[in-house]
Amino acid sequence: MNLIAQTLADGLVLGGIYALAAVGFSLIFGVLHVINLSHGVLVLMGAYLALIFSEALHIDPLLCIPPVMAVLFCVGYAYQRFLIQHAVDRASLNSMLLTFGVALMLQNAMIWVFSPDMRSITPSYAFTSFKLGPVNLDAVRLSALAASLILLSCLAALLRFSPLGRVIRATAQQTMAARLCGVNVRHVYALTFAVSAAFAGAAGIVIGIILPFSPNDEGGWTLNAFVVVVLGGVGSPAGALIGGLLLGLVSTLTAQYIGPAFPNVTMFLLLVLLLLVRPNGLLGNAFAPSR
Amino acid sequence: MKLNPTQVFLLVAAAIVILAAGPFFLPPFYVRVGQLMLYAAGLGLAWGILGGFAGYASFGHAAFIGVGAFTAGLVEDKFSSLPALLLLPLGLLAGAACCAVLAALIAYPILRLRGTFFAIAMLGVSHVCAELTNNIDFFQGSMGLNFPPIAPAGMDPADFFYEIYLVAALFILLVSWQIRRSRFGAGLLSIREDEDTARMLGVPTERYKRLAFVVSAVLTGVMGVIFAHSLGYITTESVYRDDTNLSLIVYSLLGGMGTLFGPVIGAFLLVFITQVILGRLLDFHLFATGLLLVILVLSAPGGIAGLLKKRKRTAT
Repeated sequence: MNLIAQTLADGLVLGGIYALAAVGFSLIFGVLHVINLSHGVLVLMGAYLALIFSEALHIDPLLCIPPVMAVLFCVGYAYQRFLIQHAVDRASLNSMLLTFGVALMLQNAMIWVFSPDMRSITPSYAFTSFKLGPVNLDAVRLSALAASLILLSCLAALLRFSPLGRVIRATAQQTMAARLCGVNVRHVYALTFAVSAAFAGAAGIVIGIILPFSPNDEGGWTLNAFVVVVLGGVGSPAGALIGGLLLGLVSTLTAQYIGPAFPNVTMFLLLVLLLLVRPNGLLGNAFAPSR
Repeated sequence: MKLNPTQVFLLVAAAIVILAAGPFFLPPFYVRVGQLMLYAAGLGLAWGILGGFAGYASFGHAAFIGVGAFTAGLVEDKFSSLPALLLLPLGLLAGAACCAVLAALIAYPILRLRGTFFAIAMLGVSHVCAELTNNIDFFQGSMGLNFPPIAPAGMDPADFFYEIYLVAALFILLVSWQIRRSRFGAGLLSIREDEDTARMLGVPTERYKRLAFVVSAVLTGVMGVIFAHSLGYITTESVYRDDTNLSLIVYSLLGGMGTLFGPVIGAFLLVFITQVILGRLLDFHLFATGLLLVILVLSAPGGIAGLLKKRKRTAT
């Protein structure tokens, strides 16, 4: 009983982080129809930036979230405006390959700059933990989960209530109609990409405080994001949350009860199965209704 | 310039003779590079039957390299008392059969996915195969499998495998040429252009797609078996490689997607660039591949064949 409760709790914490790490990927997929294979690199850039900031300024890593998000917002805007925009209008495979090329270059660059070693961010409260009934929760994981949920809610509110969110949703639903109403579609695409990159960076920080990371992990985080989006549905923070929690639960349960080597196998079987029975994910495409 | 059939035949025969004579005048390093080029060209052609002709770009063809290699290794282990010359055909047969069965099994669900979803699902297949091979003791993926030396005595194994690779690559080229000019090939092209319309016009798209998938998988598996023999010892990591998954797309992209010779040109060029020009700059490898990919997508989405075609069109 204890073991099940502990496994479920760990799965939910991991799932919350998966959701945050995937939400940017989901947004870009939903609005630009681009599979951003450099998403994992953006996540890791967030983690490394937080490492630098928190070591240089001696502040809590979670306080690095705003500056890191600001930096990645600018990076994301420029990346979309100067590179990806040129491939967006062509076949979908082209933009995917473009982002893959960028991912390879940045991964190699990160290996030069930060070395291929595993790194981790250790906050001051790294070794505190609470007991909640039979379940052990350490402070790091709890704060990581809280940060994920808060950031996801912020993004959901941004998309739902702000003028920027309205424009992004309009562009995703009907690009042509949005353009006719005076929306500068390229600018919106770039802003969407920037917001996504910012959230990827924030996810990187949260990942950095609970798991070790190295430049070679980027592929894994991109794949996770893809699986989460396919499971949950494209474009919405709620879809990412559902997909993330599902993925977190499945991978911890598999690791616990089937074997530590098999989470990826079950994950992909689940993915293919879901693609076949419900190709649009559990919540469907957030921007689809008016298409 | 239009050549008549005799001239074409002579040209092709001359090219084959020059290629086959390669090991006799090339220094050993370039024989090794030649092996890699032919290996890459064969894989690129096999990938192109599905990815180029039918437009179903797979991101996980390394799955079939691995399945072919491990099947051959396990089967040859059972029959290790046979003479060395029989082992390679036996391994090829077993590897090809296993790839055919696997491809036929997964073809039905996975070919319902299109575009990016198909690409990523294939990547999933490749990862799942790799993890199963690595973690189930029977396959010996983490320990590694040994292959018996099969080169005839008195011949340098490098030269021997060069010739084997050449034969295999030519065979795959022949198959893909025959497919390209057949009714089946025309059907595949129509699937690439517009699958729904093709289906509406009576092209048996499901059957064609499945057949192309199986053929592509079998030919990839054949290359995998030869690759495993030329290495002599394989582990999961040495055959299920993500950079192979990527390279297969880049060959076609570089040479020209969906053209007959595109993957060959692309494979020769890319292997030459990475092995000869960048051979000493291993730290720079990933970066250069990425940069090449970015430049290609932005400036020449039709590949080299596309550039040539464009020039011809502007000239006339």
